[in-house]
Amino acid sequence: MLIVENVRKVYRVKEKGSWLRQQWKEVEAVSDVSFRMVPGKIIGLLGINGAGKTTTIKMCSTLLSPTSGTITVDGYDAVKEDRFVKAKVNMIAGGERMLYWRLTGRENLHYFGSLYGLHGGALRSRIDSLLLQVGLLDAADTPVERYSKGMKQRLQIARGLINDPSYLFLDEPTLGLDAPIARQLRKHVKELAVAHGKAILLTSHYIHEVEELCDEVYIIDKGKLVAHDTPAQLTQSLNLETALHVVIPALSASLDLDLQKLAVRYGGSREIAETDEHTWEVTLRGQTDMTTPLLSLLAAHQSPVLRLHTQQPSLEDVILHMADRRGA
Amino acid sequence: MKQLTALLWAEIQKEHRHSFHSKMVYFSLLIWPAIMFVTAYYSFAPFRTGADSPLARFLSAEQLPLFLLTGYLGYIFFWCLVQSAWQMSFERQAGTMEMIFISPVNRLAFLYGRSLSSLVEGVWLFFCFTLLALLFVGGMHPSGWWAIPLAFFVLLVSAIVWGGFLSVLFLFSRDASFLYTVLDEPMLIFSGVRLPPLAFPLWAKAISFCFPLTYALQLVRGLLMEGAPLSALAPELALLASVLLLLVLVTVVLLKKAEKHMKETGNMVMY
Amino acid sequence: MFRVAKATFVRNTLVMLRAYPWSFVIGHILSGVYTVLFAYFAYHYVFAGQLDSRFQHLAGTADYLSYAILGGAFYAFAVSTLMNVSRSLITELREGTLEAVLLTPSLRRGYFLGNVAQQVIRTVFEFSIIVLIGALFGLNLVHTHLWSAIAVWILSTGAFFCQALVLGSLMLRFRDTYITQNTLFVIMAFVSGVTFPTPYLPEWLQPLGAIMPLSPALDAFRQCVIQGKPLVAVAPQLLHMAVLSLAYLVIGMWGMRRMEKRVVESIFA
Repeated sequence: MLIVENVRKVYRVKEKGSWLRQQWKEVEAVSDVSFRMVPGKIIGLLGINGAGKTTTIKMCSTLLSPTSGTITVDGYDAVKEDRFVKAKVNMIAGGERMLYWRLTGRENLHYFGSLYGLHGGALRSRIDSLLLQVGLLDAADTPVERYSKGMKQRLQIARGLINDPSYLFLDEPTLGLDAPIARQLRKHVKELAVAHGKAILLTSHYIHEVEELCDEVYIIDKGKLVAHDTPAQLTQSLNLETALHVVIPALSASLDLDLQKLAVRYGGSREIAETDEHTWEVTLRGQTDMTTPLLSLLAAHQSPVLRLHTQQPSLEDVILHMADRRGA
Repeated sequence: MKQLTALLWAEIQKEHRHSFHSKMVYFSLLIWPAIMFVTAYYSFAPFRTGADSPLARFLSAEQLPLFLLTGYLGYIFFWCLVQSAWQMSFERQAGTMEMIFISPVNRLAFLYGRSLSSLVEGVWLFFCFTLLALLFVGGMHPSGWWAIPLAFFVLLVSAIVWGGFLSVLFLFSRDASFLYTVLDEPMLIFSGVRLPPLAFPLWAKAISFCFPLTYALQLVRGLLMEGAPLSALAPELALLASVLLLLVLVTVVLLKKAEKHMKETGNMVMY
Repeated sequence: MFRVAKATFVRNTLVMLRAYPWSFVIGHILSGVYTVLFAYFAYHYVFAGQLDSRFQHLAGTADYLSYAILGGAFYAFAVSTLMNVSRSLITELREGTLEAVLLTPSLRRGYFLGNVAQQVIRTVFEFSIIVLIGALFGLNLVHTHLWSAIAVWILSTGAFFCQALVLGSLMLRFRDTYITQNTLFVIMAFVSGVTFPTPYLPEWLQPLGAIMPLSPALDAFRQCVIQGKPLVAVAPQLLHMAVLSLAYLVIGMWGMRRMEKRVVESIFA
């Protein structure tokens, strides 16, 4: 188990001064974060830019040392016994850096594998199996500079698994990937947790990705954990609005009035808009589900329903909600 | 130990493919040094170099070509093994350095493995030199058959340690090119590549003693030009060994400090 | 167009100052200083001031230190100019604006000029510092015919510009900057009389020096500074430079135009 307890990270940042006299400013990137990573589970870490996600990940992967608090991995302290921790963790970041572009995929993996003390037949067979897993076996002997973005990302995954880590940190892994590859990647990540029993921490800006993959979500804002729950519970608990969209062929004055009354009765709001096809789209927003009363109302006015769909609040809404609050 | 050798070998393979591709080797390790060597030789043409000239205090005129050749060999050998140190600052920008620091690899082994990784190119260079010396330039008086491998070994070890030291400096520096100018070019003057350091005033001699190349060249010239016996060279060997040891210590200390700084500030650039 | 040139100049200077406030310039200057030091050490400590009997006749002066120090400083200026101009030209080529820069008056040309001007000013500054330090180590400037020297400098810049056109097209042809330019610079240091008079070279090598603009340029500059000769006295060298400049200009333009097509197709390594 990976235990993060009351971790705080403060950076000293040089403010613009002359060469002779320098001024320092203290920036608290992470103020109090605690969580646990358990084998087989995927944890999501969400927050707007600058919230402290990457700093947290770097502390867990031993690249940064916390200012206070502790991080232990299977009993080893991440700062004092970092050598043992480094052998058990790995990080996969999005983007195209962190690979040697003149080397082939296989050569890259060979090099990084040797940094973990792997060599000989054991390393070779692990490389082959990883290349197969990420679907790069055919391109294994092509220089990375000729890989597409998706291929580079897949190679990054293979590199992140080269030491068979028990704890894996994914920092925006599908950044810049197109939909089919991103989907494949998500499938793979799920497999790593479920089938291979790895503990995974994932940060992402793609909210649906987090909703799909994560067993638990931590939301971090200004360096503090502000929420922790399953994705579903989280959206529910914040009591965000559901939007109900219905498209009808005609809107009479009396129907319009009744829709208004309905919205007010349920403590919500109503919007109407004429569409291009000379129909009307009515949107009812509120914290309560108004589907049944709406349908009854439309039936009473003998109005056919051309289209109807519900928009549930998503984690995106959660984040936006928080961003609005921060801005306010 | 096995892991260490495997790491060393992996570094060699990677550096060879990533940094040194064939055209570059022919130019930087053969053509340019050859031209620079003849330029240096002709640069002495404006001076009087006869048997009773001031130069004769330090070396005879017919030894001049070999003196320069050994000087350039040593310098380029160092330069060759230092190229990978130079790469460090690029790797820091490319992000691969983070991936190395996230791994548990022994930092010192990694550093020296990096320097050593230009081994292949160094061997090629030494071979060309020996050939040139034998064919065109006279004045070679090796101390024995063992003088040539020993000279190679001396150059190799000194360059690797120097390369490791520079690697740490470059890796954590914001402006590696400036450091390179400050540390590399003076080596040309003060280490006795082109001029005998014995001729220098005290202050210049003091500077030359800071470079391991100075000692290495003295030894190499003693072994290949003067035919000096091992007993005569022993004190110089000991001196070189202690200088290298000091450099290794400084490297270790710097490395620890730099990694600690990186963990605290999240920034690989220390200065 | 001049507004653009000025704006580019200012921007480049600011970028340069912010990125490397002092290390950049000092690095270049130090390189030149080492040349000065080497000449000084060799002359005083190794050879105790004793020169070869032919030197005075071949170099036109017995003042070795001035000869060598000026050679080093001027060589640094040549290298710097060639490097900067050829790279700027390649940038223009890659952006498809080379024609606009070389032939038609345009805003693009202003941008290019601003770039080049900034680099020239930097080179002049570095050269001046090296010369000043050289003066401390034995460079004798007392006889300098200042206006002739400046005129030679300006004409040399033009000559190097033309050579840079050829260098640029070679770089594009071989899809490499580092090896191409360094090979040229190493050859120039050997055959152009930088550290020793070219007649010391074997006869079959001397024509190679004759096709480098640096050779007549350096010769003329030395005569103006060390011997204090006026511009007319170095007319043969200037003519030599002019012929070379024209040749390089023609070949260079042709070369760049040919390479233009190549660049459009392939990736520039």
